[in-house]
Amino acid sequence: MERILLKNIDNPESHRLKEYERVGGYSSLRKVLEQMSPQDVIEEVKTSGLRGRGGAGFPTGMKWEFASRDPKFPKYLICNADEGEPGTFKDRPILERNPHLLIEGMVISAYALKAEIGYIYLRGEYPYAKTVLEEAIREAYEAGYLGDNILGRGVRFHLSVHQGAGAYICGEETALIESIEGKRGQPRIKPPFPVNVGAWGMPTVVNNVETLANVPYIVEIGGEEYKKIGSPECPGPKLYSVSCCVKRPGVYELPMGTTLREIIYEHAGGIRDGRQLKAVIPGGISTPVLTPDRIDCPMDFVSLPKYGSMLGSGAVMVLDDSVCMVKVTWRAMRFFEHESCGKCTPCREGTGWLRNILERLEGGMGRPGDIELLQDVAKSIQGKTFCPLGDGAASVVLSFVRNFPEEFEFHIKEKRCMVGEG
Amino acid sequence: MIRLTIDGIEVELEEPVTVLEAARKVGIKIPTLCWFEGLPPFGGCRLCLVKVEKLPKLQTACTLMSADGMVVETENPEIRAARRAMLEFLLINHPLDCPYCDKAGECELQDLVAKYGPEAGRFAEGKRRHPESFDDPIIVRNMERCVLCTRCVRVCEDLQGAYAITVTGRGAHSFVEPFSGGRYDCEYCGNCLTVCPVGAIMSRLHLHSYRPWFVQKEAETVCSYCGVGCRMVVQVRENSIIRTIPRFGLGVNDGLLCVRGRFGYDYIEQKERLRTAFIRKDGELRPVSIEEAIEYTAKKLLQIKDTNGPETIGAIASGRCSNEDNYMLQRLMRFFIGSNNIDSSARLYYIPIVQYLERIFGQGVTANLMPGIGRSDGVVVVGGDPTRINPVLGLQIRACHRNGGKVVVFGPSGGLKRFVPYELRPRDDEALLVAVLKALIEKKGMPGENKNLEERLKEIEVETHDVLREASIEEPLFDTLVGDLLGLQNPVVVVGPEVLQAERPSRVLFLVAGIVYLLGARVFVMSDRPNYQGLMDMGCLPDMLPGERPIELETFRHKVESVMGRPVPDKAGMNLFQMLEMAKEGNLKALYVMGDNLYYHMPDAEEALQSIDFLVVQDIFMTETAERADVVLPAAGWTEKEGTFTNLERRLQRFEKSRTPLGCMEDWRLLAELMAHMGDERPPRTVAEIWDELVQVSPLHIGINPREIGPEGMIYPYHGEPLRGVEGEFDVEALKGPYGGGPEGLRLILDRPLYHSGSQSRRSRALRSLQDSPVLCLSPEDARDLGLEDADMVRVTSSKGMLKVKVAISEDVASGTARLSNTFSEVHFSRLVGIRQDPVTTGGVFTDNLVKIEKLPSEGSEEVME
Repeated sequence: MERILLKNIDNPESHRLKEYERVGGYSSLRKVLEQMSPQDVIEEVKTSGLRGRGGAGFPTGMKWEFASRDPKFPKYLICNADEGEPGTFKDRPILERNPHLLIEGMVISAYALKAEIGYIYLRGEYPYAKTVLEEAIREAYEAGYLGDNILGRGVRFHLSVHQGAGAYICGEETALIESIEGKRGQPRIKPPFPVNVGAWGMPTVVNNVETLANVPYIVEIGGEEYKKIGSPECPGPKLYSVSCCVKRPGVYELPMGTTLREIIYEHAGGIRDGRQLKAVIPGGISTPVLTPDRIDCPMDFVSLPKYGSMLGSGAVMVLDDSVCMVKVTWRAMRFFEHESCGKCTPCREGTGWLRNILERLEGGMGRPGDIELLQDVAKSIQGKTFCPLGDGAASVVLSFVRNFPEEFEFHIKEKRCMVGEG
Repeated sequence: MIRLTIDGIEVELEEPVTVLEAARKVGIKIPTLCWFEGLPPFGGCRLCLVKVEKLPKLQTACTLMSADGMVVETENPEIRAARRAMLEFLLINHPLDCPYCDKAGECELQDLVAKYGPEAGRFAEGKRRHPESFDDPIIVRNMERCVLCTRCVRVCEDLQGAYAITVTGRGAHSFVEPFSGGRYDCEYCGNCLTVCPVGAIMSRLHLHSYRPWFVQKEAETVCSYCGVGCRMVVQVRENSIIRTIPRFGLGVNDGLLCVRGRFGYDYIEQKERLRTAFIRKDGELRPVSIEEAIEYTAKKLLQIKDTNGPETIGAIASGRCSNEDNYMLQRLMRFFIGSNNIDSSARLYYIPIVQYLERIFGQGVTANLMPGIGRSDGVVVVGGDPTRINPVLGLQIRACHRNGGKVVVFGPSGGLKRFVPYELRPRDDEALLVAVLKALIEKKGMPGENKNLEERLKEIEVETHDVLREASIEEPLFDTLVGDLLGLQNPVVVVGPEVLQAERPSRVLFLVAGIVYLLGARVFVMSDRPNYQGLMDMGCLPDMLPGERPIELETFRHKVESVMGRPVPDKAGMNLFQMLEMAKEGNLKALYVMGDNLYYHMPDAEEALQSIDFLVVQDIFMTETAERADVVLPAAGWTEKEGTFTNLERRLQRFEKSRTPLGCMEDWRLLAELMAHMGDERPPRTVAEIWDELVQVSPLHIGINPREIGPEGMIYPYHGEPLRGVEGEFDVEALKGPYGGGPEGLRLILDRPLYHSGSQSRRSRALRSLQDSPVLCLSPEDARDLGLEDADMVRVTSSKGMLKVKVAISEDVASGTARLSNTFSEVHFSRLVGIRQDPVTTGGVFTDNLVKIEKLPSEGSEEVME
């Protein structure tokens, strides 16, 4: 497939405005401002079938429609660049290597929404991306792609980067908005949804980096054409970040719906060191683990649930037979415990408890009944938390225990790992 | 109309509410921890999980809005299991130190676990640790017990408006802390500890001294500190107060209290309380029995009456005493002495302000209800900081802001700083008032309702630009202010004591009245004593009979005479200032002071008090005034008697007796005994008997049975609606002008701080632990000019005297003024100034208050801080 989002990425100067314009950058914006009404843009995006790339897969056009119908002004457009899901680094090449694509996408989106202020909420651990984005924004202002009179068409949009302080939860859109407002990063009660009551109580659209980066291309070739790429129910190109035990980890731009098998064995070069595939986490740590018999699953929002998991952020974590599944679960739970914001009881207390039990198992101190306790605690969290963070934590435990019970039992009985030296 | 089914019960709703509230409407109580009535929903504890048909997951009832056709189940095995799981989660980091925790027995977590389980915990690892904090003198925080419901944070932000605490840290290591850690930087209202469901934030005053089930008696009462009249419950064990608690849904305060009300109750049980009567013999006060003292007093008073005439005897009523006490004092004066010489320290500002406004607008103009402040679309504050003088009224102003209303403060905004869009700090308040009034008249035109007032308003001749320039007010800001005021539909004006501290108080008051009139505002007058309004209504005025009926009207006099069977002296009596003046001239032979420390808070009172032949003081402490008395009578204090107070919105509120005083007697009973010795064959012997008489005497109180006054009090007779449209006569000085150009130099003005209110608060250990010494408050500008820093020791000199005091630099002080309170015995305001009576308003204006401030070397501090 011809690269769309990562076009020109191999050019060391790809982040410069000059280079972006050289390969046709900002022509979509020109087209929009010259030929399309805001509603036309929304219709085009609706036609394209673009679905949010942050993890939930909500139809982008619909989200925009909701926000644009709300009579309140001002409206805000926020780019969610808080790429914190473990295993996920798909937005990073856009932020660092192709920032103008994101900016162009945001200006077009803002035009469609009649939003005049935008923020890029950037993960605190991406300092280099901040430098690049800020330089790109400066260039865009200078060239008249941002400001009070964009391309002389009287369109107004101001954009700035807001750097997060390192909390995973701020990737959740309402917590992100709280953080932008200067408050403690904790999710808000929904409804009302941000499209109606978002930043400072105003209609706010929060879109993922990759989602917004798709917009210029949709405008360029039209929604109907775009729809032909990838899976019919969720079309478009998709960035898969492949990591762990593969020969060529990295970000791969492939049509939505490429199978896991193809991603792992054709693009990422297969399992390293001649080992056997043992498990795949298909969409970031919060998505349930898959066993090797399920890797013919197409990687899209619709197919993965049929295989017992979710597309999430499209972060494929490949685990080979040298990896201890108890250790992976424990390590994941350390993450969830650390990142639980503390707002709701089950997530705040439950993630720490799960980590405690897993730590005991991993350290050879497991007791009979611990597996049942793990499952019981996880089920007490599942479906009862304020936001999906707790659900993610619970599903990791439940899916690992379900798929690899023998490893957990081995840990309890033998007080050591079933695999490797541990 | 929304119809939904909860546990098989059909619920009909006019307006959409949460499922939790809908369930409560039909009596189904869904368990909660983080939910709290009046606070925004949070959805954190997950205990209110319920099953909703067609929804796969359990839903939190506190955040889910009811929808038509919804079918909800609030208890089933799945829900019970989920609740048990939530409680098990909460307990894994909870210390389970219930045997030691003061909350045990009234702990919501404990109660919920008792109901839902778990019976045993499965958590086998170590709990988090967090040290208990004793950083605050009156609050203890144990964050190991915290369940992170954040009620405290939300009450602090949303109801108190203090924004003092927040959740710090993340996950299970989240703790509620002040932003900067350590001690709270706040108003110490303690509302956080009211709402804490567990033992995480508690009062230190009764730490480990009781268990909730030790409470033997609860008494519904009204706070004894200020004129708001907050309702609270006093809990007593073995004749001693354990604590005071507010109740949500009850009274004007609706569950909120301020620092004085919540923590300042311990004065009532101090060792220095009077336990016996005293009579001065050979120049010394000697303890005697109450009977002996009363007999002696009766004899002396009758003797003076016979020898010098009743007009040489006077009495001072008390804003701290109940309606019944005050009624009985005027009864003594009018019917057994035969003199109308009765007044009180309410004369200093409360009586003159209220009466002046009543003369313009009609009786009961201040009978407005406090919750209306929160619901109004704008509040104008003039003459003092309501968040300190009447803190819970101040919360209503903050609520107005929260509901989108505009708050405008003339002068430093103090405790309302966060709630005003801009701060007006004119060099001269009067100039700003006249400019605003003029602008309102020009832009709005006269409403044409009050002819007298409008005629006088037309007399004002000022050139707005000149006045503004004089007062150094920027015109754009002024225009914004006027624009904001013009936009108000339903405003409120809150008037404080400082409106009288001017060269011509009547003019300032008139300007305020003009603004009230043009805005069509409801007006509130601050009151720093719980019963200033009550003592007025009870007839403790030299020119008014009970029910505030003028003495000169014969019909009222006759009515009272026919009830009492005794003549009413027909000549108006002397007011506070006149009595003290008489005393200085040697013409006041006897003065009966009830619950007032005149010597302490009236400048220049010493000479007057010394010249009185026979001074009787009836009080709960040996005050500075009592020390100079000839007879001291020990009175029962707050919660030691039943009775009623009338608050500043004229709400009549009943309070119960919680404990029996030792060695003292209720004020009204002392007076009844005294009257019995002065020829009263049957003085009232109970509060009910006082009311039996009062309702016949006072037209304001006709038909009231005090026993029928419910927890909400009684708004009587105005029902919250002032009697408008009564046009009276009033004077105003120098209305034409000129305006502007306030006095030069640094003026000392009376500070009314949050933590202290006078003779009562300085005997509260709790309040003293927050502030133990007086401070001279200076504006940053003046402090800079004087080369002073915070906590420097200074010498303050006026023409009346000199004292040493510590400086506190505060933005709440207008430049050109220094503030000193009247709350500590050694160093206080009234020692440095004089006072005169304003002829028009009859209020007190402090004089001789130009002061010189010099920095002292710091070693002088110990000597003064003693």
